[in-house]
Amino acid sequence: MDATVTPLRIALVGVPNCGKTALFNRLTGSRQKVANYPGVTVERREGERITPDGRGMRVLDLPGTYSLNPTTLDEAITRDVLLGRLADTPAPELVVCVVDAVHLPIGMRLALEVKRLGLPMVLALNRMDVARRRSVHIDAAKLSAGLGVPVVATIAVKRGGADALVEAIEAGRWITPRAFTPAPQEHGAEDAEQMQRDLRGLLAAAGYSPPRENPWSGRIDALLLHPVAGLAVLLAVLFVMFQAVFSWAVAPMDWIKGAMSALGEFTAAHLPAGPLASLLVNGVIGGAGSVLVFLPQIVILFFFILALEDSGYLPRAAYLLDRLMGSVGLSGRAFIPLLSSHACAIPGIMATRTIPNWRDRLTTIMIAPLMTCSARLPVYGLLIAALIPARPVGPFNLQGLVLFILYAAGIVSGLLVAWVMKQFVRGGQYSPLMLELPDFQWPNAGNLVLGLWERVKIFMSRVGGIILALMIVLWFLSSYPEPPPGATGPAIQYSLAGRIGALLEYVFAPIGFNWQIAIALVPGLAAREVAVAALGTVYAMSAAGDDLSAALEPVISSTWSLATGVSLLAWYVFAPQCLSTLAVVKRETNSWRYPLIMAGYLFALAYLASFITFRVVRAWA
Amino acid sequence: MTLDGTGRQIALAQLRRGQVATVSGLVESAAIDSGRDASQSLVTRLRDLGFVPGARCEVVARMWLGGDPIAVRIGGSTFALRRAEAAAVRVELALGQARDAVARAGSSAVPA
Repeated sequence: MDATVTPLRIALVGVPNCGKTALFNRLTGSRQKVANYPGVTVERREGERITPDGRGMRVLDLPGTYSLNPTTLDEAITRDVLLGRLADTPAPELVVCVVDAVHLPIGMRLALEVKRLGLPMVLALNRMDVARRRSVHIDAAKLSAGLGVPVVATIAVKRGGADALVEAIEAGRWITPRAFTPAPQEHGAEDAEQMQRDLRGLLAAAGYSPPRENPWSGRIDALLLHPVAGLAVLLAVLFVMFQAVFSWAVAPMDWIKGAMSALGEFTAAHLPAGPLASLLVNGVIGGAGSVLVFLPQIVILFFFILALEDSGYLPRAAYLLDRLMGSVGLSGRAFIPLLSSHACAIPGIMATRTIPNWRDRLTTIMIAPLMTCSARLPVYGLLIAALIPARPVGPFNLQGLVLFILYAAGIVSGLLVAWVMKQFVRGGQYSPLMLELPDFQWPNAGNLVLGLWERVKIFMSRVGGIILALMIVLWFLSSYPEPPPGATGPAIQYSLAGRIGALLEYVFAPIGFNWQIAIALVPGLAAREVAVAALGTVYAMSAAGDDLSAALEPVISSTWSLATGVSLLAWYVFAPQCLSTLAVVKRETNSWRYPLIMAGYLFALAYLASFITFRVVRAWA
Repeated sequence: MTLDGTGRQIALAQLRRGQVATVSGLVESAAIDSGRDASQSLVTRLRDLGFVPGARCEVVARMWLGGDPIAVRIGGSTFALRRAEAAAVRVELALGQARDAVARAGSSAVPA
């Protein structure tokens, strides 16, 4: 074959959990996450590989699917790409159908279906090492002869595990299957039964014998899926996660706080007083630094979520919760997107592509921002530390208890909103559960480290990027116009930001927010943690005298009322202070209507919650 | 539908935890397929997942309130199915199994 200029367009197809994404990483060397449950690989992932003959490959990792008759959105994407129906994605020139040798029948059935499309195809028989350990017998040569396409063994998780596949592709050993059909046959019952007979014949001719059962999986599942013990384990897991996020993070957070204030003092001492010093100390260090302190908590939270994903536990949690979630009109499949939303609503909302029913999916999307995302932690952490005393309440700590209540409030309000939506929006078709509970595996340390590193990078780039930029803008708006000579109050009140805050204060006075909070909420619309940075900047800039590096916490502690602080906490449970989330909702629902409805109802709930909380706490305290 | 260990047919949804059976067929289900055209049939999806005549399956777990959902091991994979979904699968109980639940104490040794 001539080495044409354009790289070979390859698509990877396979059922969920077959190791397709690991193979994709192996082929392209890209640092993609290998997830162990369906629904995370929903993004179209494309990577490249240079081949010795110079042509190169462009590899597309298609969402896992059990069949080319889709029941979910991401399965529909896979079918549409293979048929070349997506405008911006041409049909692949070669399909690599990845089949997990440990779960051969279900993967081979899909392979038969894909073969019918008539596209050039190669079969990658993955995890042959595990299959051999489980006493699977299969003759790859006979399988290839029976199927009519080349079959190559791969071990995606090992270095060099895809070499045989790359060789086969380069050598052009992929022939168009003889039975050429340009479009998928949407199969009825007889067609499906015929395919099952063909499958059985094919596997028998290739000498297939199924794997030995692993006795440990059975024992573990007897516990984890038990109606009572299983739920107890789930609660325990969530509780441990929660506790760890707060207790393990204390030391690193103190370290970062110390480093930030030392840096602030150092800068103030070495620069002449003036706008530059003010910008650096108040804007950059005071602002962005306040958010950086929360990095340890975010790392620990993501560590648990990634480990649970990788181990295969999360679909079991979906199984346990399906009935409960069904009572408020959600599917058990909504558990995974909603859990991810505790880290960040953006991947959570994208993960709803695996929910087949549109109404269920929309409900899940609408309540995802109510889950306490990691960006709220800086706000909650600051306010709790500043205003809630660290008193023991029985075996618990009052601060920890308040935080737990905030998390619970997010979940409970989400379930309530879902229930309300169920009353008003008539559900359409039945939406299935039919969820695979994948085999357990020890979380892969490499995947975990890579996943965490990605998260750290995202966090740091948000801090270094948008937050820093907004703080500089805020600093600027808070410094100019400068106060007239003879002015008595802090300089910031005379600035543009101060004047905007004074106006907003009318709106926010009934719920107890002062003008500093009012100012901070404006840039705080970009991302939740920005409010902490903004408060840091606003207060630093209002500090009378030369004390430019006053820390935020003591200032809040001494100047805010408890009612104001709790009211702001209640605001943050609901308020959509995150433009990126609204942008993703627009993208996922293809309409402006839903993000606007979302923003509307969330702000309304936020104002109501803050109003009630402020009045109640003020009356009682 | 009776469970008397003589190979009678019942719905998968009626199996107790630990029971092993062989799939004998799928039935149309208005509960799960109403409003869907043939190409989107969830019963076909069950077949695609491996619930085909002759396949052996074992109920690994049942949630409360009548087994909604259940966890079924079939073809080397485990699936969570709601009661209505499992009701579409007709199975034949393996000969000689007791009528009531046999707690299989976590062992996955399946009788030949």
